[in-house]
Amino acid sequence: MGGAYLPDLTLVLPEGILVVTAFLILMTGVFRKSTNPQVQQRFGHVALSGLIVALGALIFYHHPAERWISFEGQLLQDDFVYLGKILILSGSAAVVGISLASMLKEHLLSFEYCALILLATVGMLLMVGANDFLSLFMGLEIQSLSLYVLVALKRDQTIASEAALKYFVLGALATCFYLYGASLMYGFSGSTNFEAIATIIRMESAGNFPLSLFMSLIFIMASFSFKISAVPFHMWTPDVYQGSPTPITAFIAATPKIAAMLVFLRLMLEPFMTLYDEWQSLVAFLSLFSMVLGAFAALRQTDLKRLLAYSAIGQMGYMLLGVVAGTDEGIQAVLIYLTLYLVMIIGTFACLLCLRGKGSYGVQNIEDLAGISTLHPKVSFALAIFMFSLAGIPPLGGFFAKLYIFKAALSAGFFGLAIAGALASVVAAYYYLKIVKVMYFDDAPKVPSASYGQIVVLPLKMALILNACALVTLLFFVFPNPILEIVQRAAFTFSG
Amino acid sequence: MTLSSSQFMSMPLKGNLEEYFNIFIFMAVAFGISLFLVLLSFWRGPKRPDAEKLSAYECGFEAFSDARLKFDVRFYLVAILFIIFDLEIAFLFPWAVSLKSIGLFGFFSMLLFLGTLGIGFVYEWRKGALEWE
Amino acid sequence: METLAVLVVFLPLLGAILSSVLDHRSSQAVTCGLMALAAIFASILFVKVGLQEKTLLIPLFTWIHVEFFEVSWGLQVDSLSLVMMAVLTLISFLVHVYSVGYMKGDRSIPRFMAYLSLFTFFMLTLVTAPNFLQMFFGWEGVGLCSYLLIGYWYDRESANAAAMKAFLVNRVGDIGFVLGVLTIFVLFGTVDFLSVFELVEDYKDETFTFFGGHYHALTLATLFFFVGAMGKSAQIGLHTWLPDAMEAPTPVSALIHAATMVTAGVFLVVRISPLLEYAPLAREFITLIGAVTALMAATIACVQNDIKRIIAYSTCSQLGYMFMAAGLSGYSASMLHLTTHAFFKALLFLSAGSVIHAMSDEYNIQKMGGIWKYVPLTYVLMWIGSLALAGIPFFSGFYSKDMILEVDWVSNLPVGKVAFVFGISAAVLTAFYAWRLLLLTFQGAPRADEAVMSHIHESPLIMLIPLMVLGAGSLFSGYVLYDLFVGESTSFWGTALFVLPENEVIGAAHHVETWVKWSPILATLVGIGLAYYLYVFAKSWPERLSIAFSTVYTFLLRKWCFDEIYDWIFVRPSLKLAKVLWKEGDQKMIDGLGPNGVAALSVAGGRLLCRFQTGYVYHYAFAMIIGLVLMIGCYFWL
Repeated sequence: MGGAYLPDLTLVLPEGILVVTAFLILMTGVFRKSTNPQVQQRFGHVALSGLIVALGALIFYHHPAERWISFEGQLLQDDFVYLGKILILSGSAAVVGISLASMLKEHLLSFEYCALILLATVGMLLMVGANDFLSLFMGLEIQSLSLYVLVALKRDQTIASEAALKYFVLGALATCFYLYGASLMYGFSGSTNFEAIATIIRMESAGNFPLSLFMSLIFIMASFSFKISAVPFHMWTPDVYQGSPTPITAFIAATPKIAAMLVFLRLMLEPFMTLYDEWQSLVAFLSLFSMVLGAFAALRQTDLKRLLAYSAIGQMGYMLLGVVAGTDEGIQAVLIYLTLYLVMIIGTFACLLCLRGKGSYGVQNIEDLAGISTLHPKVSFALAIFMFSLAGIPPLGGFFAKLYIFKAALSAGFFGLAIAGALASVVAAYYYLKIVKVMYFDDAPKVPSASYGQIVVLPLKMALILNACALVTLLFFVFPNPILEIVQRAAFTFSG
Repeated sequence: MTLSSSQFMSMPLKGNLEEYFNIFIFMAVAFGISLFLVLLSFWRGPKRPDAEKLSAYECGFEAFSDARLKFDVRFYLVAILFIIFDLEIAFLFPWAVSLKSIGLFGFFSMLLFLGTLGIGFVYEWRKGALEWE
Repeated sequence: METLAVLVVFLPLLGAILSSVLDHRSSQAVTCGLMALAAIFASILFVKVGLQEKTLLIPLFTWIHVEFFEVSWGLQVDSLSLVMMAVLTLISFLVHVYSVGYMKGDRSIPRFMAYLSLFTFFMLTLVTAPNFLQMFFGWEGVGLCSYLLIGYWYDRESANAAAMKAFLVNRVGDIGFVLGVLTIFVLFGTVDFLSVFELVEDYKDETFTFFGGHYHALTLATLFFFVGAMGKSAQIGLHTWLPDAMEAPTPVSALIHAATMVTAGVFLVVRISPLLEYAPLAREFITLIGAVTALMAATIACVQNDIKRIIAYSTCSQLGYMFMAAGLSGYSASMLHLTTHAFFKALLFLSAGSVIHAMSDEYNIQKMGGIWKYVPLTYVLMWIGSLALAGIPFFSGFYSKDMILEVDWVSNLPVGKVAFVFGISAAVLTAFYAWRLLLLTFQGAPRADEAVMSHIHESPLIMLIPLMVLGAGSLFSGYVLYDLFVGESTSFWGTALFVLPENEVIGAAHHVETWVKWSPILATLVGIGLAYYLYVFAKSWPERLSIAFSTVYTFLLRKWCFDEIYDWIFVRPSLKLAKVLWKEGDQKMIDGLGPNGVAALSVAGGRLLCRFQTGYVYHYAFAMIIGLVLMIGCYFWL
């Protein structure tokens, strides 16, 4: 380690931009001490532009088809990471875009929100870019801690602080799992670097793996199962989704799930690939339970956000099905699913944020949507599209996402799982379609209150993002190639 | 790989974990001795309780109430802030010792770390977290 | 000529499509105009192709191609289809024009016009089909249009019921048709008319064996086809839908349920003449059915009171005549009667429509009477129609009906004489009910109330002109076409009809005994006289007779109790069975275990799963740790 050593800093340029923007916002905000909404909104726009500039920097400096390593192997960027970072940055930007207006209305918009969103995004970028258990831990914690605070943003409300506390305590437990697993791994291999670990495991003779290796595998899997809310590590999800203000729920539902899923995929396929025979049955169970619970537990939910939480659990189950397949086809299917899921979930939340229920934030109950189609035909149409797509109805994007997953699972020989998944999606279709039914066929309440059912605002950003999401969902089957190409390149990282 | 339970029980600890065996023995002995001492005093010690003895210890003066009571969240805040800067010091020592070998990059890394902490410090200051009242 | 033929078939389709997007004025103009064009083209074709005794075979495109089996869309234009095309387009055009007046003020005129044109298209594909499959396409198409038009006034419950009945009864026949096509395919390996008819002599002794019996293949096939024909042409057993179909607007009754669609069965039987010639048993059956239907329908018509139902039963009866002739190899006589009947029956229906129109939608002839002064033109036209129907000399019906009865007499099949007797009896009844209708409707004292009587008016010109054209047809078509169709030296039919030399009847029919020639006229006169006696001179008699022979009267009034019997044999048991299957089978078994059971189970499962979501953070943490332990355990013990 000579004194002249300097890592390639362009690799972390997007992260750097975000950090600097976050600090800037933090300092300006704390010194101006203004509660003027105009000022707060300006912070939001700064954060948004920071995200977009970071996205630009990422795309500009990307080296396609190359394994770009920096910080002594701590961080790397290849096509897979690149795809992940694009999804995270654009997802975060979109969430900020749809949130600002309603945050402002709820008097939630503060410069801290903007800074925390940026810092959480930095954490996620580091997570997907990690090539080492230590840097992964760092990213994981930056992301998690920011999220805990975000959930508690409305701290004078009991339900929000309860959610934050639960999230924090259980998240800490998951972190413990991770740390324990990672240190066992270090104990086994003497290294924390993914590549080094992969090499060491590969040298072990199959069928004679030591116990510590399995323990490490299981603990790390458990911790990431928590992050992607796979059953039985899913318990926090409904409470946190419900307790957080809707814009925060949108954020939690969108990008952190993507980041955690990508890391899960990377861990399984790179350091632990040799152990495929060992982990595939475990992931298969996670997948199966998630799909089934996601389908059944949501049936009786009346709270929209809780329902979406179970929906997310189910959707994660489907993605895990692609991981179980472990083939190139499976990886591609997971990545396509992730991309479309991000689009659909952001679109769904955009709709929910457009509509305003009786409660203080967004539409809370399914009944609040009754007859809303006559009041807001466009927004309800968009929401119907997303619901149909999540339910997997052709020819919408969600159908193809599931199709690829099932295809991959079938060609890898997981017939039972694929059939269970298809059955679960039939059950799940009920609650997605129920939302459409309530919107289109139920009567609106007799006397709508003044605020009920009114669009908060549909500013340009919101309209733009909503339309973009709807278009992607609708037209994926016509123009799948842009997504398919980038996904193929990303998947090639592992098979190539 | 699958193992039956008997195989699992008879499997020797293998690999690098073997090196931790000494530590395990040390911990087991430490735990055993302390447990033994606690139990011994509990068992052999004279027990003559009265009201004064059973009340909570409170720095020499009379106990106001039960020990398990709510206390001001400001204590908690101060404790947390203390921990952060305490840990910072914990990082600074090894850094200072090895400054020669980690070079300029190491130096600036620590400056970045300190800067980040500084921003946090400024934030909490301006927010009034350091004001007691 | 080929283009012309294609235009004739597809102009009505164009009309139907256009009409469905136009408003009511322009849809009337478009459909009428296109039908007029089609009628003109069809007449040109008739003169240029039919009278020149040529045959056109126009392939359009391949429909099904499976190895050696090929079915193509195409048009086969020979004298047989040309007769149908000409009659069909002409009457369809007249009915289109008549509808403009009759349907005035209706809510959905474009729909009506579109249905009419669509029907014409399907009927044209049926008659120009070069193979059995395309014929079946047209066959089903006209059935569909008939269903749509019967149920045209869909807010009437009776119309919907009638439409359904027509559809269901026709399904029975259609199954016969399908079985026929399949039999033909199995036997010949092709369904093209020309190929089948060329091969038929080689296959005349083929038999099918199943369930231990041997069955003559051609007899089987032709009987299947005849079942189809019975359904479409309302022969006894499958005739029950036709009277109910009178729920349709009157122009529809005239076009579909009198002049054209119901004759599709006759057309089919005539078309398969090369097959029938080798299946004497089938021909006897056809003749017998025709004869029985002719008589049965005529008896029922004598006691009905609904003006349209009387004419409907008359149609049934006349179709029986046509089958009688066709069964005895008198195909050309059958076609002649088909043509003349198309004119005079359309005339009768449209005139009846005119009467109904005048009487403010009154259908019951017992509530009419004495209106001839107010609707003189309709009265005259109704007379012409009735004279033609009864077969008074020199009216069109005379030529064709006489020909049929003579064919009956000279046929060498044993049922011929039976058919003759039935035919003569039916002729008496035909004349009787026709004049009963005339006398009760137009003469005597008015039995309608003042309000109705004060509104009676002659129909507008747009309705009367088609009537007059049809009147002319009823007057002259028999005379004009007699020599062409059944003349002793005619070669008009060419190869379109095939009669074995030993079955030849048309020639012989021209040389029958004089009393045979005169007996139909005599029968008619008896019928007319009886009607006059009962309804003009001895007005109390009809009632006294109906009381004296109340059993017979009720039996006839109830239309031979067919509906009751069917209701008892088919409808009730199947409803009962359906109810059992529905309540026990579907609702309890399938729904209970299937959809509803699974749904209930899902909800219960959801409730169970929600119970785990206690909201206590230590439960959540516990679940995570249990999950971890399970994963470890799962790993070791699985």
